[in-house]
Amino acid sequence: MAEKVGQIVPESVLKKQKREEEWALVKKQEVAALKEKKAANRKLIYNRAKDYAKEYAAQERELIQLKREARLKGGFYVNPEAKLLFIIRIRGINAMHPTTKKILQLLRLRQIFNGVFLKVNKATVNMLHRVEPYVTFGYPNLKSVRELIYKRGFGKVNKQRIALTDNSIIEQTLGKHGIICIEDLIHEILTVGPHFKEANNFLWPFQLSAPLGGLERKRNHYVEGGDAGNREDYINELIRRMN
Amino acid sequence: MSAAAARPLVTVQSLESDMATDGAAANSVPLPDVMRAAIRPDIVTFVHGQISKNARQPYAVSNRAGHQTSAESWGTGRAVSRIPRVAGGGTHRAGQGAFGNMCRGGRMFAPTKIWRRWHRQVNVTQKRHAVVSAIAASAVPSLVLARGHKIEEVPELPLVVSDAAEAVEKTSAALKVLKQIGAHPDAEKAKDSQAIRAGKGKARNRRYVSRKGPLVVYGNEGAKLVKAFRNIPGVEIAHVSRLNLLKLAPGGHLGRFVIWTKYAFEKLDSIYGTFDKVSEKKNGYVLPRAKMINADLARIINSDEVQSVVKPIKKEVKKAPLKKNPLKNLNVMLKLNPYAKAAKRMALLAEAQRVKAKQDKLDKKRKPITKIITYFCCLSMHLRFWVYLYFIGSLLLVSQSRASLMQPGWKLPCPVYLSHSVICLLQEEASAINSASKSWYKTMISDSDYTEFENFTKWLGASQ
Repeated sequence: MAEKVGQIVPESVLKKQKREEEWALVKKQEVAALKEKKAANRKLIYNRAKDYAKEYAAQERELIQLKREARLKGGFYVNPEAKLLFIIRIRGINAMHPTTKKILQLLRLRQIFNGVFLKVNKATVNMLHRVEPYVTFGYPNLKSVRELIYKRGFGKVNKQRIALTDNSIIEQTLGKHGIICIEDLIHEILTVGPHFKEANNFLWPFQLSAPLGGLERKRNHYVEGGDAGNREDYINELIRRMN
Repeated sequence: MSAAAARPLVTVQSLESDMATDGAAANSVPLPDVMRAAIRPDIVTFVHGQISKNARQPYAVSNRAGHQTSAESWGTGRAVSRIPRVAGGGTHRAGQGAFGNMCRGGRMFAPTKIWRRWHRQVNVTQKRHAVVSAIAASAVPSLVLARGHKIEEVPELPLVVSDAAEAVEKTSAALKVLKQIGAHPDAEKAKDSQAIRAGKGKARNRRYVSRKGPLVVYGNEGAKLVKAFRNIPGVEIAHVSRLNLLKLAPGGHLGRFVIWTKYAFEKLDSIYGTFDKVSEKKNGYVLPRAKMINADLARIINSDEVQSVVKPIKKEVKKAPLKKNPLKNLNVMLKLNPYAKAAKRMALLAEAQRVKAKQDKLDKKRKPITKIITYFCCLSMHLRFWVYLYFIGSLLLVSQSRASLMQPGWKLPCPVYLSHSVICLLQEEASAINSASKSWYKTMISDSDYTEFENFTKWLGASQ
């Protein structure tokens, strides 16, 4: 018990002071450690983003080169089939057949103008076939994917829809798959990578605006001059208008 | 009120009439367990409420009130209400409404009956617990003060007085005793507070009200103290084995000021038992246990056992930041993607370069011949003619062999020799014009929107 001049400091107060000091010290150390880790991480993220930029540019050039080669030789170059789809729901929720309603739920398209990315395989293609009149879909390009994720990207953290304002949010959930920043996420989605499922499921379904300039005719298929169904590369133009 | 192993001692206050046999300043008695029992104001309020109903006398309206008429309704058709009316005539009463609660002289609504349930049963254990709580509360100075007793001059609570008090015979002596032990202010307070009751009670044999003073508890039957103390206003007396909750917690409020005699105090243990021992006098009764042995929450929270495993307080609550669009806001973009700045810079530089390159290319194609004309103009008329000739000649010759032109010794029929630099200049300009026109011709078609140019070149057989 410390005795100040004329004052006695109660033991409980002293104990509390000591406790607070210890906690403050521990906290300071934690903060310092975190800062270091963050700095190291940033360098890593920078390098990764640079590599990806190179990779995307290389892919583009490669495509152009292959096309030119083929033309030179008098043949044709056929693009490989797209691996990634972006689906947008274009119809509302009333008066739906229960099976198609269920399929749309499985695709996480519960609301009009909701958008999700999707891997292309037999299973998903068959599902899309069933819900064709209610959705429009196509093959997004790099710009579409980037802009969607940057502007309207929200993640599923603890079953909550959390905005992607920081790379730590992504690292928290997807760190174990090696995705630690938003560029990693974009890369994983674009080049349908080994952890596409987890990355895609992490992304909450995109809530897009109604398209500027309008849709043509919801009730018809795209090939008939309407909007539903597969519109391949023209989905990008629609995404520009809806994002 | 912790279950301490040792029992604290209560000093017995000695009176003047005490024989100082022991010589010691004061005897002391251990505190009985009753006084350490849990204080339960909820039980006391309930039990007090129930018990105080037991002394009631029934009241009721007369059985026959309002029915001592033979009234009958006149029925409809007489322009009067259908209430039963008194039969007969010759008096005011005739034809007046009767029987109803709304009628003058009629019976009241729901006449009160004597068979109303006046008394209340309370479980014996509950009654005992209530008394135990009240006794425990009487040992807590703050509760006694809160109840309003003047105990500022009382030396100790619980106040135990030596047995000599039980032998007091005269009221004057009793008063002296009270003064000695500091209980007089409380008794005085009671005396001063005697007043006529407000309200109808004063006309119903409850004319005077006053405050309650101390309660004197004695242990021996037939002690003289009863007669001595009973006339002092405010003071009440009770035998220890017949303690009344209505006296210990008047109005249901805990904390009556109690003066115990030593004999009574010592008897408490046997009457109510201890926490471990069953009561001797009350069959099978054990003192009630508290819900929490240590009810001092602050002490528990600040104890070492709890604090050693407690995590630090989270002072800053993280609020989610407003989402800003990284495509528009550079700082937010850099937070997410530190490479963005470099990428943007490179893109800007590349764009600038591209623009510049295109402009250069176009300039080269469309460059006007300004050099020779300015030079031309500063020559004399005579020289100009020859330069002009030379110039045309070089243009004609350029398609054949360039090498021949590089000989500066190409003689003019005129003795004027053009300088080497001038000739080179002329040659330069000529070749420039030639190449420009050639390339323009070549790109004329591809610059236009002829979309099948690639196929076209194939047909022509021309290589790029």
